Amino acid sequence: MKSLVMKFGGTSVSSNEARLRACLRVISAKEKGYCPVVVVSAIGRKGQPYATDTLIGMMREIDPAVAPDPRELDLMLACGEILSAVIFAHTLKTLGHAAMAFRGGQAGIRTDGVYGNARIVSIQPTSILRAINDGSIPVICGFQGVYVGTDRAPGAELTTLGRGGSDTTAAAIGAAIDAESVEIYTDVDGVKTADPDYVNNAPTLRVVSYDEVAEIAHLGAKVLHPRAAEIAMKFDIPLWVKNTFSDDPGTKVVKSDEFPGRRMTGVTHSGKLIYLQFDLSGIEASLRSELRGYIYEILYTNGLNLFMTNLSPQGIGFAIPRSQLTRFQELFDGLVAFLDDHIALFSIGAVPSAGVVAQQKLLARSKPCANVQIDMTENCSMVSIIGHEMMQEAGLFVRVLRMLDEAQIPVLQTSDSELSLSCLVPESETERAVHLLHSAFAPQAVE
Amino acid sequence: MANRQVETEFEKRRGVNKVEMRGNFAQINVYGLTPPVSRSRLSVLDRVAACGVSIDFLKLTSDGLGFCVDQKQVEVLRPALQDFGANVTYLEDRSVVLVHAVNMRDEEGLIARIVSSVLTTGATIDHMGDMHDRLLIVLESKSAENVARVLKATLVGSPI
Repeated sequence: MKSLVMKFGGTSVSSNEARLRACLRVISAKEKGYCPVVVVSAIGRKGQPYATDTLIGMMREIDPAVAPDPRELDLMLACGEILSAVIFAHTLKTLGHAAMAFRGGQAGIRTDGVYGNARIVSIQPTSILRAINDGSIPVICGFQGVYVGTDRAPGAELTTLGRGGSDTTAAAIGAAIDAESVEIYTDVDGVKTADPDYVNNAPTLRVVSYDEVAEIAHLGAKVLHPRAAEIAMKFDIPLWVKNTFSDDPGTKVVKSDEFPGRRMTGVTHSGKLIYLQFDLSGIEASLRSELRGYIYEILYTNGLNLFMTNLSPQGIGFAIPRSQLTRFQELFDGLVAFLDDHIALFSIGAVPSAGVVAQQKLLARSKPCANVQIDMTENCSMVSIIGHEMMQEAGLFVRVLRMLDEAQIPVLQTSDSELSLSCLVPESETERAVHLLHSAFAPQAVE
Repeated sequence: MANRQVETEFEKRRGVNKVEMRGNFAQINVYGLTPPVSRSRLSVLDRVAACGVSIDFLKLTSDGLGFCVDQKQVEVLRPALQDFGANVTYLEDRSVVLVHAVNMRDEEGLIARIVSSVLTTGATIDHMGDMHDRLLIVLESKSAENVARVLKATLVGSPI
């Protein structure tokens, strides 16, 4: 019997009406001879009572200064999908179809032990297959699994898979039960050439390769999680992105060798970055390498995430997520590094803080002290163009940069790969940059 | 319908899973460009594009830019970039060490850890770039092999 995994996102289960539409799709698949296996996200989006962001907010608002324990947070977050799965299964039952809700662990999903960002290590789908054989439609909680530690503790630890985890669950379940295909249902018609919130007439791509969709997702598109694409690619499962609320055929994700030869795929954006540039020109050239090592050691040991890293003889630069800014400031503003018979004093911004001025006065009495100024540009975002066999074209970079320059959109930094080219721009210019690049490149994206 | 994936690894493990090296690159740094620097950078890139040369790892600096090209293209670019009113350095015989790790920008401290490990070897990094799944480090070819070996030994499969 052929099985089909159907994953429904938060908006697809956000109301009774939406859920009914989703259930009818499941029933339709069953009537076509498939054994549907459903994966659901939590109900609704931020602001709605059981959405993941709402649940996070409930924990954080107790005392914003105290971060929730990751283990406890996972227990809390998993409730959103459990509610959703139970209600979905019950809705199917009310429509006359046997259904059974499963937590991630009950579905056999085992993960590593990283709370909040666990990765799936194995799936034992025995209970899912049994439910199917018994004529039930399994409804599985997305986004969660269990970690079975090595300490023989009774019971497994509940873990969540991080953002987009329900897509990952769907692809992994599809692989585990050898599904004919995996369908990701959302509230847009498929993978678009740009964020429809920014470009409202962005066309839907009919076919994309796994590589492309993973790149698009990594660079900010929210329609499909990259880990889902990576699992589907690894296990060679056809993947679809469809709209719960329309009959649009959606987007099919295929292997690169089935790629239709399109050149440019689309434009994405991801935001909330801070760009930082360390000016090492005041440090003797012979000491810069040691100082760089010191800086990266601090960044590493304090878990800072770097984007768009760069390095020149006079300095280093990178972007960090806005969520890590306070940590960065606490670490680097007023930091002192001892280098042979020199001292380097770090300060953030052109005007030193009171703490840095006090340090300067103290240090002036000892060894020669050089200042390492860190220029900080807040509120940045990364705008990217994604394409297939396109990025190596001579002149593409200059074309993009000229377009942005002529529109007076400053480009702070760039990065590139075989599939993409990204520019760091002020967040306030994101929408304009997306429009500009989309109008220039996206028409090539759709057959 | 088969239960084919019992106890099979579904996702790549987090952390560094592969280190490889590619040779025959040259690193080109252009600095001291006349303001407005953004326009001057475009002029440099125009000249490079006019030569039909594809560039990798373009990075912007406060007064210029840096990028990598295939080593064979250096002689094509030299005449195009001379008499430009800026300083140009050509670092030939460079290799790129590629360090692969899934979703590395979201793994706390991972990129910094890799760079820190490279610097610990005493190697000088000429240039660097990152993607969501790999870090590219440009080094003199004679030190790249050792760096790749050290990174493989210390980071591949190591927990993060």
